[in-house]
Amino acid sequence: MSYFFQLVVSGIVVGSIYALSALGFVLIYKSSRVLNIAHGQIIAAGAFITYALTVMVGIPIYFSFFISMVITFFLAMSVERIFLRRLIGEPIISVIMVTIGLMSIIDGLIYLTPFGTENFSFPSFLPTTPISVGGVSISWTQMVGVLVTFAMIGGFTWFFKKSTIGISMRAVSDDQLAAMSIGISVPRVFGLAWAMAGLSAAAAGGILGNITGINFDTLHSFGIVVFPVVILGGLDSILGAVVAGIIMGLIQQFASGYLDGNWGLSGTGEIMPYVILLVILLFKPHGLFGIHEIERV
Amino acid sequence: MNMNNKIKWMFLVVAVFMVTLPVHTFAAGKVYKLGLSLAITGPTSDAGNPYAKGVEDYFNFVNDTKMLGEDKIDCTIRDDQYNNDITKRNFEDFMSQGIVFYLNYSTGSTLALKKDFEEEKIAVIPASFHAGNLIDSNYIFLPIASYSAQAIGLAEYIVNNHKGGTPKVALFIHPSAFGRGPVEDVQKAVSAGLKMEIIEVVEHGKDLDNTAMLQRLLSKGVQYVISQTVQSPVATMLKDAAGLGLAAKTFGEAGKLTFLGCHYTGGNDLVALAGPAADNFYWTTSYIITNEPSAGATAQLDLAKKYNRDEKAANSHNYANGMMVAQVATEVIKRAKAKGKEINKANLYEEMLAMNGDKAFSPGTTVGPVTYSKTDHAGVDSLQLYVVKDGAFKSAGTPFIPVYTGKIK
Repeated sequence: MSYFFQLVVSGIVVGSIYALSALGFVLIYKSSRVLNIAHGQIIAAGAFITYALTVMVGIPIYFSFFISMVITFFLAMSVERIFLRRLIGEPIISVIMVTIGLMSIIDGLIYLTPFGTENFSFPSFLPTTPISVGGVSISWTQMVGVLVTFAMIGGFTWFFKKSTIGISMRAVSDDQLAAMSIGISVPRVFGLAWAMAGLSAAAAGGILGNITGINFDTLHSFGIVVFPVVILGGLDSILGAVVAGIIMGLIQQFASGYLDGNWGLSGTGEIMPYVILLVILLFKPHGLFGIHEIERV
Repeated sequence: MNMNNKIKWMFLVVAVFMVTLPVHTFAAGKVYKLGLSLAITGPTSDAGNPYAKGVEDYFNFVNDTKMLGEDKIDCTIRDDQYNNDITKRNFEDFMSQGIVFYLNYSTGSTLALKKDFEEEKIAVIPASFHAGNLIDSNYIFLPIASYSAQAIGLAEYIVNNHKGGTPKVALFIHPSAFGRGPVEDVQKAVSAGLKMEIIEVVEHGKDLDNTAMLQRLLSKGVQYVISQTVQSPVATMLKDAAGLGLAAKTFGEAGKLTFLGCHYTGGNDLVALAGPAADNFYWTTSYIITNEPSAGATAQLDLAKKYNRDEKAANSHNYANGMMVAQVATEVIKRAKAKGKEINKANLYEEMLAMNGDKAFSPGTTVGPVTYSKTDHAGVDSLQLYVVKDGAFKSAGTPFIPVYTGKIK
């Protein structure tokens, strides 16, 4: 039975990190209907900035983690201001193509630094003995990852529900013209959405970097790995990202724990989330929590 | 000066130039063109980047120290971003430039270009040690023991050092030809009498957490995990095992997992990624390491210093890897020259095949000599086992040649 609970805990850990990584997609899509294909690169950049501040500058890792979030906040805001602001009103596909270009540019820039082709790891700052309760173990790295994830998701949920800016962002997401008519600055909202996505990406990068080590390929590929989570959650729902993330994490762990190694099966932990995604989308094409818009003519 | 005089002077200048040009060319020696296509950026560039530096530095060293007299090696190095299409394009371009020797990189592109190498009849050394590269191929030469030999070597080490009963082993592999390569050969070794039990072959993905897999393996009595992949997934697995308290502190510790891996799973990059969780990881390769004194290590560090490489590149086993293939290519050119042969594809291929017996080549960067023949296209047969202690790889025992590699042929 402890094996089952161990898989549940691991599934929740993995799922919540997926959710945090997926949050950046959701935040941008929610306000601007744009899918930022370069999100994985921003996740990687967040990890690299945290590492550089910690190891090269000598700032304690807790502070570098927060400073890197502030830096990526402004970095992502600048990216929106420089590359995407002028595309407001242009077809969405053009904007998505720009994010693909952005992905290549960031890739190229990172390859100019040692982070592009070298491997690093954060200095140890957490106890190495796992937390064990009733035969179920969780490492401190994972525990901190889960706590940061839930804190951030809680913060964003509050922000969107209670703060004036958050409500403005939801208004822009619902109807840009109507939002403009009541005095909301749509460009400012877009900038803020990108900035917040940058902030969440840095958090995800820091946590992922702690778990996998700092390797550019591994980190930026997470932008793609979490895509099923974004689709399953419904693209514009923070709650959806959390629920879908945890569902995906659990499916992965259970498939790996109970199917792999039996009946000649292997790698089902990789495949099963996609199979379940397809099945769910058959019945709920907009994802679990996606808004189904009905246009009346 | 009138027009006629101007024309006369121009003819004179051109004539002098034409007469002196061949003299200058002769004085400057010949230029032998080589090509290398590899991932300097993109997937696996953490290995490709230092590899490229090793190749580049060694050929610069050959030219700067006039190792080939007045002759020079011109090796064009191109980034293919781990993309087979780009590799093919690079190779075709190199061929049109008249290369006499080719250095390739990935398993995928080596397999994909195998027929092209046969058609062009050019000797090729890839950075991939996949035994399958050699099937139906006459022109591919592995620099060191194949992944299969490495995995079998690790399996033999397990069998020889395991206490109590038949050891239960899992293989943790990359989901590609590169990763799957040695599985069948290890199974053949078991069928041929190697006393161990392969409980499971795990093809990993981009896993954030390996808890389920590790617990499953332990529940099946697995004690050893042999990895054939790259460092990043191994680092995640080691971190998970350490975090869950499942990693063995000593080799074969009962109720725990002992981790071992082939060439591309280990080296300083693994320690950089996994940190303290890398301790007690067993790794095999045919290359020397720089944190243990040897003539090869000194040569490697001196070369890197001469060409201003940073500490990471200088101490990378992939820098040694790149340096070594450049050493082999240079050696066959030297040998062909010494025999007065023309430096072309056919003669260099002939010299590769003759590199055996008293003509075996010891580059210093490997733990054994490089030998090739018509029937042996794997360069260094010896392997060295290393283990991580206090964050650095240390030799465990002396170089060895896996016994079962010969038995399953």
